[in-house]
Amino acid sequence: MRIGVFVCHCGSNIAGTVDVVSVAEASKMFPDVVYATDEVYTCSEPGQKAIQDAVREHRLDGVVVASCSPRMHENTFRRAIEKAGLNRYMLEMANIREHVSWIGKDKEKNTFKSTELVHMAVEKLRRNQPLVPKTFEIDKTVLVVGGGVAGIQAALDCADGGLDVILVERESSIGGKMAKLDKTFPTVDCSTCILGPKMVDVAQHPNITLMTSSEVDEVNGYVGNFEVTIRRKATYVNNDLCTGCGLCSAKCPSKKALDKFNEGVGQTTAINIPFPQAIPKKAAIDPEYCIKFTKGKCGVCAKVCPTGAVNYEQQDELKTVKVGAVIAATGYSLFDHTRLEQYGGGRYPDVVTSLQYERMLSASGPTGGHIKRPSNGEEPKNIVFIQCVGSRDKSIDRPYCSGFCCMYTAKQAILTKDHLPDSQSYVFYMDIRAPGKLYDEFTRRAMEEYGARYVRGRVSMVYPKDGKLMVRGADTLAGTQMEVDADLVVLAVGAEAETGAPQLAEKLRISYDKYGFFLEGHPKLRPVETNTAGVFLAGSCQGPKDIPSSVGQGSAAAAKVLALFAKDMLESDPAVAEVNQRRCVGCLKCVRTCPFGAIKEIEARDGSTKAEVIDTVCQGCGICSVTCPHGAIQLKHFTDNQILAEVDALCLSWMDENYA
Amino acid sequence: MSRLDTLKEQIRKALPDLDLVIGWERGFDPFHATPFHIKEEADIDRLIFDATCVHNLASFLTGLAGKKVGVVVKGCDSRTVVQLIQEKLIDRESVVIFGLPCTGVLDKAKLKAAVDLTRVSALDVDGDTVRITSGDETVEKDLKDLQATKCDSCKYPNPLEFDHLAGKPVEPHGDEAVQYDRIKAFEDTPVEERFDFWVGEMDRCIRCYACRNACPLCVCRDHCIGDSRDPHWLSQETDIRNKWMFQLIHAMHLAGRCTECGECERACPMDIPVLMFKKKLSSIVKDLFNYESGVDPTAVPPLFTFQVDEETINERGW
Repeated sequence: MRIGVFVCHCGSNIAGTVDVVSVAEASKMFPDVVYATDEVYTCSEPGQKAIQDAVREHRLDGVVVASCSPRMHENTFRRAIEKAGLNRYMLEMANIREHVSWIGKDKEKNTFKSTELVHMAVEKLRRNQPLVPKTFEIDKTVLVVGGGVAGIQAALDCADGGLDVILVERESSIGGKMAKLDKTFPTVDCSTCILGPKMVDVAQHPNITLMTSSEVDEVNGYVGNFEVTIRRKATYVNNDLCTGCGLCSAKCPSKKALDKFNEGVGQTTAINIPFPQAIPKKAAIDPEYCIKFTKGKCGVCAKVCPTGAVNYEQQDELKTVKVGAVIAATGYSLFDHTRLEQYGGGRYPDVVTSLQYERMLSASGPTGGHIKRPSNGEEPKNIVFIQCVGSRDKSIDRPYCSGFCCMYTAKQAILTKDHLPDSQSYVFYMDIRAPGKLYDEFTRRAMEEYGARYVRGRVSMVYPKDGKLMVRGADTLAGTQMEVDADLVVLAVGAEAETGAPQLAEKLRISYDKYGFFLEGHPKLRPVETNTAGVFLAGSCQGPKDIPSSVGQGSAAAAKVLALFAKDMLESDPAVAEVNQRRCVGCLKCVRTCPFGAIKEIEARDGSTKAEVIDTVCQGCGICSVTCPHGAIQLKHFTDNQILAEVDALCLSWMDENYA
Repeated sequence: MSRLDTLKEQIRKALPDLDLVIGWERGFDPFHATPFHIKEEADIDRLIFDATCVHNLASFLTGLAGKKVGVVVKGCDSRTVVQLIQEKLIDRESVVIFGLPCTGVLDKAKLKAAVDLTRVSALDVDGDTVRITSGDETVEKDLKDLQATKCDSCKYPNPLEFDHLAGKPVEPHGDEAVQYDRIKAFEDTPVEERFDFWVGEMDRCIRCYACRNACPLCVCRDHCIGDSRDPHWLSQETDIRNKWMFQLIHAMHLAGRCTECGECERACPMDIPVLMFKKKLSSIVKDLFNYESGVDPTAVPPLFTFQVDEETINERGW
């Protein structure tokens, strides 16, 4: 074999702390290496051309590039050597940037480590085989999980692009958090008025199948051919018959049910339609409060329903769908404000969360758009907003900024003044984060035109006194303590990962961070992709986001799916497992351990049982090859011999020195 | 009727439907038993069972696939049979299990240390007493002092899976608590000492693979990593590295499978304590998965399945 080694400077990224010239020089000593050189930017056009020229000139049949992570440029170099006539799998990369130059400062040690990594890559490459991908058909249906604004946008864009879309929503109506908002910043236009038409579009689009009160139960398969089991939770109402007339909730005797849509501000009936613009506009029963379920008798709704849609016997239904791609748009959840006891959330009725306040402001909300103190129903005069409740706080493991609270607090201060011209708003803030188009101007308006008093400092405690709430905090700009006698305290709660997000991530086999937000493929360059092919992200499930960003990501994810589905056939990665039938004893342990169901039992010609890998289903995880006791299954491109050769390259000299 | 007579009677009745029954017969001296195949009724009289019957006869089962086989097992051996059934390496339907409650077997090394074996003319086990006639004198020893180490912590003296049981079940006589004491004591020594210990032990290994051949769960047959040249895990060199690597891979392949029958260590002609590796892994599997191998024929060994969430491991704190 004739191997060429190309050691990259990456400008000064690598060359700054690694002597790349001597790494290249040392590489010439490794077996089968016939050519070695260093390049300033190997990934640049001249750099790639240098590889291709060397392949031709030195008749190379394998190339090692010592540069950055293969995550970054493996495909670049694979394409480059393919153009020079080599098989794309005759490339190995030694990561001497992320694994060496960026993490160590000692140039001598870095150079030594880089040389060892190149040695390993050479030893592996010597055992590489040319591999050819197979193609497989794809199902051009996309599953969108979550019917908030990001999911709605993604679903509409995919559907407009001609794809069949299945939109799954956990609640009984789509709309998500945005449907609960009264107005949106920085334009102060009505949230429902701009979201409503999109929701209607979803309901009416011929390409969209809407599944509400449903959750993803199980995900199998792989890009192009996912098989997803969706659980439709019992709502005890037949959606095909329900006309959304609302007679049932008007007559329902259980009127003290938790009003989830209104964030627990006010109460609702056990059978209800969450809000007037709900899509689909169908009633659902909350069995926790329904008298029929708690006491065994009632049945009023069933009696009054003109279409006989109520069915107390309804069970969860499982439905399996085949899709080619999944867009996760599961959104976010809000920080539990009762955790920060100093603010009195949950203890004092006049301390509310920002979203509860939003429902109070809404004309369709429980107070009909009138701001009232929950304790006595009176109009408040002094209203205190406390920002960063559950954001930027290491002590409660929420060190991140939720991003949108500064803006919605400014909006709520403005709306407060609109609703109650005699009121005075106070906003306790840490910093104002308003980096968006017209955002900073908006917060200034809240202060300057609407007279909201912004106090830079943290609140230390909220305590009741003479029917009011005393808010004690620091004014760090004035360098004083201050106390406000508030009628209402609004906590600007931060965003958290949606409950159940990590569990969904596991089902989708995507990564998530320690807070439960899904991990994008690359923080800058692959913001809506995941590292699992065919699974994309949109909206706040990836991290807190405001509406414009969520919509933007919804469209971006849709564009990615449309690009993926522009091809009729996809290529499968040929670096998959392979069974050596002569070695296989047919114990089928591999079948049992394979997480993807990619190994099947077959009958060999002599009638014995053997295992066989389904190439297009195999994801190349390697669990089978470590399970197989006698090495009958090898992972192509990562065979035992290749791994052993790498280990030997690293360890042999050490072993010989220490105990031979 | 004695336990052995009951067993003989059971085998006599079952033999016509079987190709063979594996049992023990007296070996070339009084303290050796030898596995043998009962193929016809006349063979049954050669059958013995006492504390010298150390072999785990389940070791032969995988090599007799396709035949209808009877096998005589002690409590510990039955775990191996259960494990083989779990792994579908043998078919439960084609195996007839003759179970024997066991009160412990002898350890030849301990015996050798106690008396001069070259002159032994008779050995007799009576309850807890071992009577050894060596030359002209007869000595009596406590069975506890001469029995295999594995018997000290025996939890399952009675077969867990059987078709026929000869004799009354016995109370567990071992102290389960001491099971992993040897490992724990060893682990308390400094790492350099442990390293040196194994370098020394492995240096003595002659790569005879008796440990592998005796292991009832070593089922790779012709594809053992010790012999394979592709993949080339091990070279032919007789260095410590290759020998140690084999032992560790052997142990890893037995994680969650090994029933701790101790055949590997017993078979080792160099007396290398290779069972320690397996005991260590068993204790890890027990800690991690709360799983004990070879106990329940319907259980799935933890490493032969894939679960995103292990029941016993709370990785995420959900």
